[in-house]
Amino acid sequence: MTIWNRLRSWLESTLHRSQMEQDMDTELQSHMAAYADDLIRGGVSRAEAVRRARVEFGGIERVKEEAREARGVRLLDELLQDLRHGVRVLEKSPGFAAVAILTLGLGIGATTAIFSVVNAVLLRPLAIEDSSRVVLLQEQWRGSLNDVSVGNYNDIKKLSSSYREISSSNNVSFNLETQGIPERVDGEIVTSSYFLTFGVQPIAGRVFTADEDQPGHAPVVVVSERFWRTSLHADGSVIGKPIRVNGLPTTVVGVMPKTFDPLLSTSNLWVPAAFTPAQLAEHDDHYLAVMARLKAGVEMAKAQSELDVIAQRLQQQYPLDDADRSFRIQPLASALLGDQRLSLRMMLAAVGFLLLIACANIANLQLARSRTRQKEIALRAALGASPNRIVRQLLAENLVLGLAGGMLGVLLAYSAISWIVAHGPAEMPRLDQSRIDASTLAFASVVALLSSFLFGLAPALRSASTRLNEVFKSASGVAGGSRDRVRSLLVVGEVSLALILMVGAGLLIRSALLVSHVDPGFDTSNVIVGRVGLPDAGYHEPAVARQTFEHMLDAADALPGVESAAVVSRAPFAGGGSSNGLLPEGKPVDLANVVNSQLQIISPSYLSTARIPLKAGRDFTPQDTRERSFVAIVNETLARTIWPDETAIGKRFSCCESGPKGRMDPTWHEVVGVVADVRAVGLDRQTQPTFYIPLAQMPPASWDWIGRTMDLVVRTRGGAVPIRELQSTVASVAPEVPIYRLSSMQQKISSTLERSHFDTFLLSIFAATALLLSSVGIYGVLSYMVAQRTRDIGIRMALGASEDRIVWDVLGFGVRLAAIGLAMGLAGALAATRLLSSLLYGVHPTDAITFAVVSLLLLLVALIASYLPARRATRIDPLIALRHD
Amino acid sequence: MDKQLDLLQGTLDMLILKAVSLGPLHGYGILLRIQQISKDRLEIQQGSLYPALYRLEHQGWIASEWGESENKRKAKYYTLTAAGKGRLQAETDNWNSMADVIRGILGTKPEEV
Repeated sequence: MTIWNRLRSWLESTLHRSQMEQDMDTELQSHMAAYADDLIRGGVSRAEAVRRARVEFGGIERVKEEAREARGVRLLDELLQDLRHGVRVLEKSPGFAAVAILTLGLGIGATTAIFSVVNAVLLRPLAIEDSSRVVLLQEQWRGSLNDVSVGNYNDIKKLSSSYREISSSNNVSFNLETQGIPERVDGEIVTSSYFLTFGVQPIAGRVFTADEDQPGHAPVVVVSERFWRTSLHADGSVIGKPIRVNGLPTTVVGVMPKTFDPLLSTSNLWVPAAFTPAQLAEHDDHYLAVMARLKAGVEMAKAQSELDVIAQRLQQQYPLDDADRSFRIQPLASALLGDQRLSLRMMLAAVGFLLLIACANIANLQLARSRTRQKEIALRAALGASPNRIVRQLLAENLVLGLAGGMLGVLLAYSAISWIVAHGPAEMPRLDQSRIDASTLAFASVVALLSSFLFGLAPALRSASTRLNEVFKSASGVAGGSRDRVRSLLVVGEVSLALILMVGAGLLIRSALLVSHVDPGFDTSNVIVGRVGLPDAGYHEPAVARQTFEHMLDAADALPGVESAAVVSRAPFAGGGSSNGLLPEGKPVDLANVVNSQLQIISPSYLSTARIPLKAGRDFTPQDTRERSFVAIVNETLARTIWPDETAIGKRFSCCESGPKGRMDPTWHEVVGVVADVRAVGLDRQTQPTFYIPLAQMPPASWDWIGRTMDLVVRTRGGAVPIRELQSTVASVAPEVPIYRLSSMQQKISSTLERSHFDTFLLSIFAATALLLSSVGIYGVLSYMVAQRTRDIGIRMALGASEDRIVWDVLGFGVRLAAIGLAMGLAGALAATRLLSSLLYGVHPTDAITFAVVSLLLLLVALIASYLPARRATRIDPLIALRHD
Repeated sequence: MDKQLDLLQGTLDMLILKAVSLGPLHGYGILLRIQQISKDRLEIQQGSLYPALYRLEHQGWIASEWGESENKRKAKYYTLTAAGKGRLQAETDNWNSMADVIRGILGTKPEEV
């Protein structure tokens, strides 16, 4: 109660300062008047009464001052006074102030910018109701987490009781025609419970009803606000109207707010899943993302143990599909953002180091200054300032620096954030939401305050404890030993932090260099890739779909400048892919013998178009049709996996479809060729076992696996990219069908490296800044040391010490500092870089070459930073030096 | 004993609380009341009253309100708050037990040690 009372009283007297002063005046005057009245009544003359009242009251100004202090007003007064004084002091040393503010601004700016990214990407909750209760449910099979089959989803839905809502989604894209131009729009096929799981309401219309999520219902669609604004012209009457989705008129029933992006997939359309009974029974095809909202009172662990029981039951019920299969739940947010954590934390740690280095530098400057200011401070102490007050005053001066640095930092962060948003990796979700907002500003202020204490407290305490007589007595020629030690320690700390950053950046740079020299396994020059998806309507028949792609190839082949054209279900670096289990001939039918492998469906021209070298056997020909025996080409990794010591040619495996006699009837594919490995996912990723089957032999069901989508691969003769021609070629064969994600193979490769290049680039900038700042630190300490020892050096030179000797002494001291920092930094780096291992390719986190090169670079820079003060030392004129005082 | 006593350090607050507990008073009134009760044996520096008043108000022991004095002057009247009442009680108890102890010590005779 009384604390509240004090605070209120303090606030009142602080905010209504003039009112308080006036009241106090009135009260004291009234007191004196009342006393004077009493005196007059006692027979004293008026003039005498007034005089005596005044005298006996005592010093009125002192009373007022004590009264103000009683109310805590003086503290604020003094603070303002100290701040004003701080500004004046800094104005008098503009050089120091500029360097300090710039250094600090750099540190705070970098920290704030990275924090705002971390805040946007990791910390801000997902824009859904009570996101901590929403989980992602995945299948776990042979140690890896996968999407869920429709059958398993359906069984879990029926058997579980832990969830208030459970829903599924799979990402697809749709062909749309809204303004006469066919476009491809990303969306999801979802159950009607999807929106209920996230608890987000549409801004117009409604979400799906359970009826609409039944097979045979007229098609409906929910669109995003973004799509509604850009493609539907924000038409307010759009609800109930049809748009053409995949060639079918589809009624728009709702518009979701632009913040609604629960799976961070920037979906623009949602259509009901309307699973058919056949789909609901399918346990072998795993492509659903399953999200569920836990019931109130049900904890994750309980829901997980229920899932374990369900998994056992399903394993028995579906031994073929669900043997070894279990289910895992985890909070949706950590499932979606987990990948971002490592590199963002690395960045945050890096900028934290940078800030510490900046603070150490400023502390160093302050320590140097505090020596020259000793007399000023001693004078103030002699005039009656308490140590407490002096410390407060020096801290206030640092606060001024901190605030100015903070403001500069926020400005720098502002431009840094726009740069990061513009150039950051596109795959990082929510990156575009990074901005300077209340939490970022709060962060920057706290950082500014903390750092001004960090770099200000030691110098301030040191100054305040200064003994008066020592200061006035001391001659300036003798350096304060312990002070030098603190400054040297600060520099050693800076150097070690800088080294850790440099090693981290060095490892990433080396890794990036190695990746850029990785052979992708085919000729990537002059290759253009675009994706074409045929809608179900009109292209449902496998033969129609196949012929459409074949016609497209013929038309593309005939284009001027095109050397050859091909289709492949998923081109390298183009994203996506589907995996299948292969059973080599001769092995018993058992899940343990199944080899998981990437399936590529290709036209016979693909291997020659992409120039993937054939290592053995033959390429596909147009004669490899379903009427002939099934053939396959495998990559070297798959051949090595299944037939390590034999030739793969002529071997058979079963996969992809079952024979006429039912599920256990194998369909054999004969290996006719072996091709070189292709790094299909990314240059820095291991090659997956992969097999190719000809377009003309693909299983009819596989059209659904790949969503009737194929990548068109075109090798040009090196001329301009015939993008327009390709678009019109596709449209001429399949009207209303767009070709999308059209770009050169080399662009696709760089976009898979975008992320690691971004990390490398940022960390390199931080490391370079850290190196610069710590070399400034070394330079500062040595310059100061030379200045302090001017007389010593002068005497030594007068006694005949050679210039070289002096230079080596100063250099030696600088290099010794750097070497100690280096040793500490190396120890720190050895511990820290282990965390980077998942970001590295082909480089060990303790790579000796990187460590050596970085250490040499650091020593070199330290040498240069030490050389300038060393040179200055030799220019000391002994005569002048001895008169130094 | 007609000689005026100097106030013991730290006792002014207690006296103010006591004076105000007998009814609302302005600053000058508090001074008069203390002198009246003590039969003019306590010397209080007039000016020193006010920092003490403000401190007590700041801490919430007393509250103030503007009013009019007996001779039609604007004056600030102080009253004891509920918290102040408790505080006065605590200080009185503390003072009494302290006084007991001191009296005991000062009254000690050589043979008792």
